[in-house]
Amino acid sequence: MRKLNFGVISYAHPHALRFASVIAGGKRTKLVAISGDGSNSDVARAEARKYGAKFYRDYEALLRDKNVEAVYIAIETYRHKEVAVRAAEEGKHILLEKPIALNLRDADEVIKAAKKAGVKLMLPFNPRFTEPLRKAKEMIDAGEIGALEYIQTISENVKPPIFLQGLDMDWFLDVRKSGGGGFMDTAPHGVDSLLWLTGDVPRKVYADIGSKIYGFPVDDIGTAVLEFRKGVLAVLTAGWGNPKGYSYGIEIKYYLVGREGFLDVRTAYPDFTVYQDRAEKIYWDRPDVRGIVNSFTDTVLGNREVPITGEDAKKNLAVILAAYEASRRNISIKLKF
Amino acid sequence: MELKVGVIGCGNIFNLAHKKALRGIEGIKVVACMDIDAARAKEGAKELGAKAFTGLDEFLDLDLDVVEILTPTYTHAELAIAALKAGKHVVVEKPIALTVEEGERMIKTAEKKDLHLFVGHVRRFDKRWIQMKEVIKKRNILPMHIRKAEVQNLPFPKGYWYWDEKRSGGVAVDLGVHVTDFLRWFFESEPVSVYAVGKAIKEEARANGTFDHFMMMIKFEGEKTGIAEVSWAYPYPSRYGVFYHHVDIIGKNGRIRYTPLDTPVVGVAKANFEMPRFSPLLSTFPDAFERELRHFFNCIRGREEPMVTAEDALIALKIAEKAKESARKGEVVEV
Repeated sequence: MRKLNFGVISYAHPHALRFASVIAGGKRTKLVAISGDGSNSDVARAEARKYGAKFYRDYEALLRDKNVEAVYIAIETYRHKEVAVRAAEEGKHILLEKPIALNLRDADEVIKAAKKAGVKLMLPFNPRFTEPLRKAKEMIDAGEIGALEYIQTISENVKPPIFLQGLDMDWFLDVRKSGGGGFMDTAPHGVDSLLWLTGDVPRKVYADIGSKIYGFPVDDIGTAVLEFRKGVLAVLTAGWGNPKGYSYGIEIKYYLVGREGFLDVRTAYPDFTVYQDRAEKIYWDRPDVRGIVNSFTDTVLGNREVPITGEDAKKNLAVILAAYEASRRNISIKLKF
Repeated sequence: MELKVGVIGCGNIFNLAHKKALRGIEGIKVVACMDIDAARAKEGAKELGAKAFTGLDEFLDLDLDVVEILTPTYTHAELAIAALKAGKHVVVEKPIALTVEEGERMIKTAEKKDLHLFVGHVRRFDKRWIQMKEVIKKRNILPMHIRKAEVQNLPFPKGYWYWDEKRSGGVAVDLGVHVTDFLRWFFESEPVSVYAVGKAIKEEARANGTFDHFMMMIKFEGEKTGIAEVSWAYPYPSRYGVFYHHVDIIGKNGRIRYTPLDTPVVGVAKANFEMPRFSPLLSTFPDAFERELRHFFNCIRGREEPMVTAEDALIALKIAEKAKESARKGEVVEV
């Protein structure tokens, strides 16, 4: 069986740990190179040793490696455009961490570069690769709960310094590098789910986003109200609001109200609970990363359509940026796509 | 001194909650029950050992200390003002009135007559929320974000007054004031602005040109975010409970959550999964009404200081009213 040769560019985003592990362990994927750009280059180097992948100090060297066919880019958000455009120019297929870029102009450049080079570009929005959400989507599309009317959803994570031990996450707190705080970090997942579940785009957004909990220089929690074109109303809360003792680390949930039924997706990830000094949820399956990598690999090897395109990610970013603007000005914002 | 109490309105909330609560309270005597429906007045009076009335003038001529008003919302102001002018203290069900303007007139009248006016914001007397508030204080949670959903399966046909916004204020007011008051009570700060969206999902709502699903995002002083979701439109059968609360509080020092699954019911699995009712009104424990009324009567007797005032009720209504304005305009409205 033909394997797709991957390079991982940067360990700035902690997802690199999970993606690298899945790519290295995949039946149809091989982790051949890792570059140590940005934060956590020491972790990147150690990981390269662990997986027997070639280590490069910077991504330009990795991109010159003819052995690399596809890259997963986990560098700080403000460098997404620069790195993704270069990867496209070098003919590498691209799996790019979210958000796609800091602004819509940069997002366009990334999309254009991939198109011009004829490489695949995909963004990893995890929840739609989880079983409960797939099931919900299937039921909605089959009309089992009637027309969808209202969605309340939470994409909540814990305070960033305790995301993962031993990683430098400072750049998440620097708006020039991350584009925003907790809302920018976690809301794109919720927005992607909403776009996917409704098969629609919002026409209007209002939000209240702020640095409310920890006193960080960036926002740590936000809630957005989204009115979709075909009538669905959605309320999305996203951020880093979960305290250390909260049993869920990351918490992704959805209440889906249709005219004839109500779906309660309590958690996108199946778990059990361990009780000691505190209660802790252990996710016994995280099929999302494997699903993303498999799906991307299928796309490249089978030359199929990308399930989550650069355009999808750009729409997503447009919603997020409008939410920030709505919050800043305390007005509702009309969206055009 | 025994307080002589007269009740106006012997319908839903009287039968589901107040009747039993009034029976359990010492130091008061219900002497009169009035309802425009003679049969209902008679039935209520019989159960409380009181006299039945159908006319307001005759009722207000009685020697009463307190009048309790349990009628549809649109009649609150007229009845409360008449009772106050007749020299009676007033306890009125929530919402205080149909409009803020009416509520203001009620408060002014009470002030002028130097009489008490209390509004039945029963959530403030519910053990769950009282305990939650205490934990917030004791553990210094410092809430910054509170979402509260109240979902009610309204068992009334579309011709019933609840569905008529001109009589009930619609779900935004009828359930809305519970949540707006809750948020203000928990945040201990004042509302700044509101953005709201309403939907008409069920036939009953569409036929009446009103909303049955309403969400408000309320900014409170100190950058606090209140999210109120009130609905009569969830499509689940009533065997799953006719009412549910969902509370999610995120603070600087912790998070508190209360879900429908935490509601103290015994789930029964037979052919279907059922939630037996632990009270005739699933929204509230029966003892909350008793605690509320006992407190109001004690305030009237000068034994306690009010825990919730008519002004609180007025602000709760004002937020809901501004939210309706926001939903109509599609814009943020200052409170």
